[in-house]
Amino acid sequence: MLGAFFKGLGTTFKYLFKKPVTVQYPEEKRQVHERFRGRHQLNRFENGMERCIGCSLCSAACPSDAILVIPAENNPTAPNSPGERFAARYEINMLRCIFCGYCEDACPTNAITLEHHYELSFYDRKSAIYDKTMLLVPIDKGHGDIPPVLTQMNRRPSPPAQIDL
Amino acid sequence: MPDVNLIIDGQAVSVPAGTNLVDAARTVEVAIPVFCYHPKLKPVGMCRMCLVEVYTARIDPATRQVVMGPDGLPQLALMMNKLQPACVTPVSEGMVVKTTTEKVKFAQRGVLEFLLTSHPLDCPVCDKGGECPLQNLTMQWGPEVSRFDYSDKVHFEKPIKLSDVIYLDRERCILCSRCVRFQDDIAGDEVLGFDNRGRSWEIISKSEPGFDSKFSGNTTDICPVGALTNADFRFRSRVWEVRSTPSICTHCSVGCNLSLDARHNSLMRVMPRENDDVNEIWLCDKGRMGMRFVESATRVTTPLVRQHGKLVAASWDEALTRIASNLSQIAAKGNGQVAGMMSDSASNEDLYAFRKLITDTFQSTSLDHRPGAVTDVAIDEAIITAGVGMGTSLLSLGKGTAVVVLAADVEEEAPLYVLRLRGIKNRGGVVHVVNSFATKLGTSASSDTRIKAGSEAAYANAFLKLVLEAQVASGFDRRVRNLDDVRNQLSKLLLDTLLEHAGVSRAQLQKVVDAYMAASNAIIVYGRTALQIGASVTQTMANAAMATGKCGKANNGLIALTTGANTFGAVSLGVRPGKDGAAANEFWARAEAGTLRGLLVVGLNPAANNPAAVEGLQTIAKHGFLAVQTMFMNETAELADVVLPQMAIAETDGTITNAERRVQRFRIAMAAPAAMHPTWQVCAQIAERATVATPASKNATAVLSNWNYAVTSDVTDEVAQNNPRYAGVTYTSLDLSINSWGRQANESVYYDGTSYTNTEGNGVQLKTVADDAGAALTVVYSPPVEFEPKGEFGLLMQTPVRAYNGGTWSIDSKLGSRQVAAHVLISSADASRWNISAGDAITVASPIGSSTLPAQIDKNIAAGHVLMPDVAGAPVHLALGAYTRVAIRRAE
Ligand code: SF4
Ligand code: SF4
Ligand code: SF4
Ligand code: SF4
Ligand code: FES
Repeated sequence: MLGAFFKGLGTTFKYLFKKPVTVQYPEEKRQVHERFRGRHQLNRFENGMERCIGCSLCSAACPSDAILVIPAENNPTAPNSPGERFAARYEINMLRCIFCGYCEDACPTNAITLEHHYELSFYDRKSAIYDKTMLLVPIDKGHGDIPPVLTQMNRRPSPPAQIDL
Repeated sequence: MPDVNLIIDGQAVSVPAGTNLVDAARTVEVAIPVFCYHPKLKPVGMCRMCLVEVYTARIDPATRQVVMGPDGLPQLALMMNKLQPACVTPVSEGMVVKTTTEKVKFAQRGVLEFLLTSHPLDCPVCDKGGECPLQNLTMQWGPEVSRFDYSDKVHFEKPIKLSDVIYLDRERCILCSRCVRFQDDIAGDEVLGFDNRGRSWEIISKSEPGFDSKFSGNTTDICPVGALTNADFRFRSRVWEVRSTPSICTHCSVGCNLSLDARHNSLMRVMPRENDDVNEIWLCDKGRMGMRFVESATRVTTPLVRQHGKLVAASWDEALTRIASNLSQIAAKGNGQVAGMMSDSASNEDLYAFRKLITDTFQSTSLDHRPGAVTDVAIDEAIITAGVGMGTSLLSLGKGTAVVVLAADVEEEAPLYVLRLRGIKNRGGVVHVVNSFATKLGTSASSDTRIKAGSEAAYANAFLKLVLEAQVASGFDRRVRNLDDVRNQLSKLLLDTLLEHAGVSRAQLQKVVDAYMAASNAIIVYGRTALQIGASVTQTMANAAMATGKCGKANNGLIALTTGANTFGAVSLGVRPGKDGAAANEFWARAEAGTLRGLLVVGLNPAANNPAAVEGLQTIAKHGFLAVQTMFMNETAELADVVLPQMAIAETDGTITNAERRVQRFRIAMAAPAAMHPTWQVCAQIAERATVATPASKNATAVLSNWNYAVTSDVTDEVAQNNPRYAGVTYTSLDLSINSWGRQANESVYYDGTSYTNTEGNGVQLKTVADDAGAALTVVYSPPVEFEPKGEFGLLMQTPVRAYNGGTWSIDSKLGSRQVAAHVLISSADASRWNISAGDAITVASPIGSSTLPAQIDKNIAAGHVLMPDVAGAPVHLALGAYTRVAIRRAE
């Protein structure tokens, strides 16, 4: 009986010198895998323009109807996105989302991507709805050039293959 | 036509000779993909998408005989030794058609690859995406990859405005010419065309202002790509996100079937819904783009009651109680001191409940559906007897049909009838237009007779005279009564005098009469001018129809282009002056005389352009009580003691009766902007609060005083029970649908994005008196009214209808810029006589006043004739009837 007792203590003692598997969350955050699908972000092009063109294809692809897109026409003198159309409202309900990534697949401009943020807890249901300002990356965090075909006056995205994703 | 037998993809098909292969294939559910072909348009074979293998009997070139095979059957050979476009290849006996062979598939892939070489492929931002035949056909028949270098695509500037409402994206256009052909053949406004050649080939608008047609929205439907889009819907949502609700257009008497496509309780777009007996698959722009008022921020959303001279918001209960107690008190004095007026574009249910409230609860027979102007139309009794018979379908008419259009400007009064009447002519019928001024329909009619201003009744009587003479030989309809009297009276009118008065030659008239008499299907259409003149035109034309038996059967009879969308309903459900009751334009005199003290107005604005009404309403409001239910504040509501918000058609349900007496159902598409009740419910709530003694009349049954309705269809059912004309009209019977242009399971693939299939009911047509085989048809002589210019008022003024009249429907509409501003049209002769040039301000004086407004000169108008279009802001109160004697002069 005493043997078993020491055996247990021995195990405890052994682990005292091992690297722990837990982390001191929230002071310390765990690194997720590269292909982890966490909270979405709305991307921009290098020059700061929104990639989202308000096409609603993400919302059509979404199996849990979590995305709301309300499109509008770009003001040609101060466009939000390349082309004629942009998303005037863009919302994702994180309580509905199942993080399947279909929206990312559907997006023709790689505007919506599932990233590594995983801190999704809310005090009420309303705050589970992320709107465009919460989803959009900062204006200086854009990537990729607008393909030449889109940079002409009044041009919009062409098929996905042509875009520097 | 004899049927032709052929084989399509192994299936035996039997179709009338002359059918093309695409339509023949559709009958056996074989889909031949098409781009340029459309069942409503003539085939042109422009796109080559429909290539198929066609085998016909081999002919020996030497003997010109059919070569027989060893089995004794004719040997088959590929027609012309190549693929044939199915849309322009008519069927022939013994043909064998193959639509799925490798050769055909190769051709289809090729056509699509070529079409896509110049296509921007911007489906994600294209309004057609999701209902686009180019997408669909590419998915089903197209190649997987393109060998074309992407950077070689031809690019144009993104959308150019063809007009304020239609945008053209030239990169997306596949040059199928559907839009051009629709405008040329169906609408008759030849405003689109092609420009340039090769890769710069493009669609252009040839008119000024651009794309000047009242039917332009239809081209966005039939355009098989997103080249033509509608500014009203542009980027509002994706087409798959909308919820469609079947509804009816209430902007005119046609009663077009439409679909209100809403998203999140907000109206995205209006689409046509198919109904072969009404609008086929079309809508006019007014119907399509005139629905934005529903969501206007200026709607009245809460009841208002007058306190210390000001209208302030109140609860429904307070407002209703006020109306009920005030009107009850007035009604208790007896003598029908309460009156009611309600728009003739309201639903049958609302009209019925309103009639019940005024006659049963408030014991009055003074009620009307007209706005109370001197120019109010007469109530048209003729149409109830001799309206087009049950089962009428204008779409089925062609050869052997004659349509006489008298005193109507069809395009302005009921736009869609232009398309339908032109269709009759295109199919071989004749359409004769007779009017005092030039109309759009006239330009494409078989004949266009210009009669002198004010001579419509003379023309009608001359017409009747010749018709009766011609009918003598074959005998009159046995049901006709009083014929001798009419013939007797007519014999006193000299044909020559009538003709001279009308300014037409005998030959001109004879041509119309001959066409009418010879036709196996004869229809008479008349419009606003005829209705304003009244029986001497309407009854006289009805006499002609009755005496010749050209009514009471399908495709024969009269069509009146009524003032409202539901005038027939208003008249037959009793919203009209009853015994001892006053008509709306007598209300004001009664108010001044103190015999009318309470008035309930629903959906009308009598005070607009009518000083007499303003005075009357002020008197009523001062000494009695005025309640108004309205969607928007207007001149009448400003005077009211209580204002109630009114629901728009999109927010309520019910039924309405169109010009051909077809009762159709509309449903709730969106929630009202605030707590509101439909008018029938408001009537019930007023009745419940009213304290007038029980009906004095003995025959008011228990049913009539019962206001226990839970839903709209309870009212519909009661109408069906109590009004024999509406017998059997229930939500169930209205919901029966017949598929129209041979819709089939998979055809959305190539006709996607056009009108919606009708699955919610084609409606029920009501019987006319003449539809009863045993009914007596009484003809009534109605002497011609004469309008003669006299003395200082030496010209005759008419107030014709304009579709774009700046009415309630135009609030927030994209058609805002097309609204007609108040003006007067005068002839060039009068212009030079008074030294007036276009744009000058002129003063129009009639015996009751004068007003100044800009003049326009129209060389088609006869000297002495003045037109003042009845639009918002025009001083139409100067008019005294269909025609008014006026004087004009340059304004100082
Ligand atoms: S990840 Fe899946 S469930 Fe979540 S928003 Fe995207 S498509 Fe919808
Ligand atoms: S699919 Fe992409 S571009 Fe389209 S609405 Fe969604 S995020 Fe925007
Ligand atoms: S605009 Fe549309 S309908 Fe007209 S030719 Fe081009 S593709 Fe055809
Ligand atoms: S024709 Fe009349 S009913 Fe039809 S859409 Fe136009 S306004 Fe509406
Ligand atoms: S050629 Fe037949 S559909 Fe265009």
